[in-house]
Amino acid sequence: MSLQTGRSSLPPPSSRRIDLARTRLRGLRDDPNPVWMRELRQAARLQRTPIILAVVTGMMTLLMASVGGVASTSTEPAKVGIALYHTFFSIAFFVVTWIGPTVAASTIASERSGRTWEALLLTGIGAPAIARGKLLASLTYVGLYIVMLAPVGALPFLFGGVAATEVLAAFALLGLFAVLSVAFGLSMSSKFTSNAAAVGVTLLIAVPLSIVAYLLLGVALSFGAHELWPGVPGGPPVWLPTAYARADFGAEYLVFLVAVPVVLVLLPAWFLYEVTIANMAGVSDDRSSGLRRWFLVCLPLLSLAGLAPAAALPGNSAPYTVVGLGLVSLMCGFAVFVFVGEPLGPSRRVEVHWERERASRLRRFLGPGLIRAMSLLLLLGLAGLALESAVGVALAFFGGRSAGAPDDALRIASFAGYAMCFTVFLAGLGAWLRARSLSASSPRVVLAGALFLSMAGPWILTAIFGLFASHGKDALLVAAPSPTFVFVMMKAIGDPSLDATFTLIAGGACAAGWALIGVALFAAAARRARRTVRAHEDAMSRLENALREEDEARDAPAAEPTTAAAAPGEP
Amino acid sequence: MTGVPAIRVRHLWHRYAAMDVLRDVDFEVGSGEIFGFIGPNGAGKTTTIRIIATLIEPMAGRVEVDGVDVALEPERVRRLIGYMPDHAGVYERITIREYLEFFADAFRVTEPTVVDAVLELTELRNLQDRLVAALSKGMRQRLQLARILLHDPKVLVLDEPASDLDPRARIEMRDLLLELRELGKTVLLSSHILTELSDVCTSIGILEKGRLVIAGPIGEISQRLESRRMAEAIGAPAPPPLVGVSAQLATGAASEASLPHLAPPAATPEPTLPTTTAGGAPLPGATRKRLRLRVLGDAHPVVPLIAGGGGVHSVEAGSAGQLTIYYTGDDRFVAEVVRHLVSQGVGIVAVEPERNELERIFLEVTRGDLQ
Repeated sequence: MSLQTGRSSLPPPSSRRIDLARTRLRGLRDDPNPVWMRELRQAARLQRTPIILAVVTGMMTLLMASVGGVASTSTEPAKVGIALYHTFFSIAFFVVTWIGPTVAASTIASERSGRTWEALLLTGIGAPAIARGKLLASLTYVGLYIVMLAPVGALPFLFGGVAATEVLAAFALLGLFAVLSVAFGLSMSSKFTSNAAAVGVTLLIAVPLSIVAYLLLGVALSFGAHELWPGVPGGPPVWLPTAYARADFGAEYLVFLVAVPVVLVLLPAWFLYEVTIANMAGVSDDRSSGLRRWFLVCLPLLSLAGLAPAAALPGNSAPYTVVGLGLVSLMCGFAVFVFVGEPLGPSRRVEVHWERERASRLRRFLGPGLIRAMSLLLLLGLAGLALESAVGVALAFFGGRSAGAPDDALRIASFAGYAMCFTVFLAGLGAWLRARSLSASSPRVVLAGALFLSMAGPWILTAIFGLFASHGKDALLVAAPSPTFVFVMMKAIGDPSLDATFTLIAGGACAAGWALIGVALFAAAARRARRTVRAHEDAMSRLENALREEDEARDAPAAEPTTAAAAPGEP
Repeated sequence: MTGVPAIRVRHLWHRYAAMDVLRDVDFEVGSGEIFGFIGPNGAGKTTTIRIIATLIEPMAGRVEVDGVDVALEPERVRRLIGYMPDHAGVYERITIREYLEFFADAFRVTEPTVVDAVLELTELRNLQDRLVAALSKGMRQRLQLARILLHDPKVLVLDEPASDLDPRARIEMRDLLLELRELGKTVLLSSHILTELSDVCTSIGILEKGRLVIAGPIGEISQRLESRRMAEAIGAPAPPPLVGVSAQLATGAASEASLPHLAPPAATPEPTLPTTTAGGAPLPGATRKRLRLRVLGDAHPVVPLIAGGGGVHSVEAGSAGQLTIYYTGDDRFVAEVVRHLVSQGVGIVAVEPERNELERIFLEVTRGDLQ
């Protein structure tokens, strides 16, 4: 029953799955998310919304008319249509990626700064429902912009050169970008208590990020798409909808135009959703399981996605494999920063819930706990890197390119080896720092500093002491502790000007050193975490005992007369 | 205390940075009580209330609402309580009815008439289509109260509900609280306005510098303090803590110690204390009270009717029928004076006890220290 819509949801007529599903669907219509409903009611009374929408649409129409007018004087109509198409969707992309996060960023933060957050939280509606309501409200708002702009987007049809499917696909992609943008804004909003700070920081990140995404995923990637599918023009930024309409259907189509975009949109959106919920939850709540499940799915998918170009694209597969390995390594590094926020162990609240629900071992493993989190990271990260390198080596040998295969295999193995060792170090360092700290922020800062020093430090030292000038290429060996030295190792393989064996040994020794330090730090962190958790448990049991004794002492005077009265009757 | 207390706070400690804001706070609120939480600014009232409301997690100790641990099962506790914070915000661009409908949906209340019932109870029905933005402070407080009643909670936790309200709104709020008590709700409220609390509260807890200095029914505390004053006056040992309530008199011996040293209050019977010193002299000024009367006409002829009576120390007549009596005794003394004067044909216009009892207790047990 929703009092806001005035509709009642009937109880399910039976426990059959079809009836339950029908009831659930009816619930979506009759019992919508209350937060969403309330936001819509409030937005409907905001008088500036239609004015802003009208102004944006008017400006867009004028811009499109200007571009069309200027272009049509010197260019044939079909090309004018294409130019208008790219202009419109480029601007629409920025409208969505700037307005979406801005709108979403002010949702949860405004509840906090407006002192309505606690009232909402105490209704027991739950963080996921609040997040969904806010997401839907923000998407509705951004959707209004898209709908208002849609007639302007149809202008290219007047000139031709663009198929209807391309326009429809472009609008669908705009919708996906809107979901991603709003999810980002929401996750930022969930972290801030000030509305202005949330909007400001979100825009500071969203604007450059959208420009970089536009240039890399739009302009730059269009050339790659053109190579793969000559029907797709290279250079124009809005190439993906065109590719959907013009690329030949096959394995490459499925992988690059369906699987990869879906993964690239869904995985970040899922992550942002989990971060939002974790930020809204209390410190003793289970804020870990959602993120851990995301990682459990994300890393294997990313490993497979990393293998896809090596397996699908023609030519030498080794560079693609190395890129894939690099992506998995970056993901592992990112996950270390995420998992550094883990508590040392599950709270009493979480343990009580687990006991009550008889949680399985897997569920407990995916629950709160620093060492569990880092163990999962190492397990999946190392397995992903090992799998990808094994497949990469196999592809190098059996991919139809026999010349240079051993060198390629060695390059892949070198990269994977160094990446695995450094991942162990990062995970160990992260765990150790978190185990010694009361909060998550300082370990993250120290970790970032350590990462920078390990990456750039050896190179800076080499430069400062002028080792290049005095020792030539041998000076490169000083940089062996830096993970970026792996590129020197890969270059040395097959390069007669460099001593490959010595370079590989130096790099391998340093990588092994990182791994050993990582293992030692991890063991120390595990020991400390165990000790801290045990101390906490002892304190809790002392409290329990003290309270129990107090209760017993309190009940004793009341119990005594009963005992005394019962005594004479006893045999 | 029989049955599960509505609120049970046990050895609660909380700390912000290096400062202990709550130190071993321990009290209970029985079902159906109106419990006034009193203390100067920064004493820890709001922290305690927010812990009870599941918004902050206690660092040590345990808090239970209707037997449910707030740290372990906050979701269940949230169904049991209605929390109204000090200076709460509202959604301004919706009407009162829409506001309540939203919260009813959020609380998953399925009864369609609940909003009407709450509007009726809080007398907001006539304003239900007015935008929240257009409401006065008093009406907003009333709306907040309506919000927390939607899910029919057992316990209401109100942080300074009457702050910033005009006199009429305060009176209305007080009446509403009494009505809620009639409905069987347990109410815990904090306030600085002691006279208001004394009108509605059945029991109180006084917090100072994060420590609970006293807690229990007002009458019992008052009696207890009276006994202590007398004991101090005659040099007898101080009586033990109150029986049956979790009270800790601020004697400086309140527990700084860790939990294992805790001990429940001893069940020692209340000693009978004398009303005069060993020499037969009346007790000193500490126990002397003042009663103000206003009589019809001149007060001077009334003085001989009272002076020299049992328990009367002195009588002063003022202008406009004002009469001030210094006495030793309790409410029965006041009733006896009034009855006596009426029987003598004196018209009594007003009777004003020396000072609100709660104010007296507060001033006596606190030291005015701030943390």
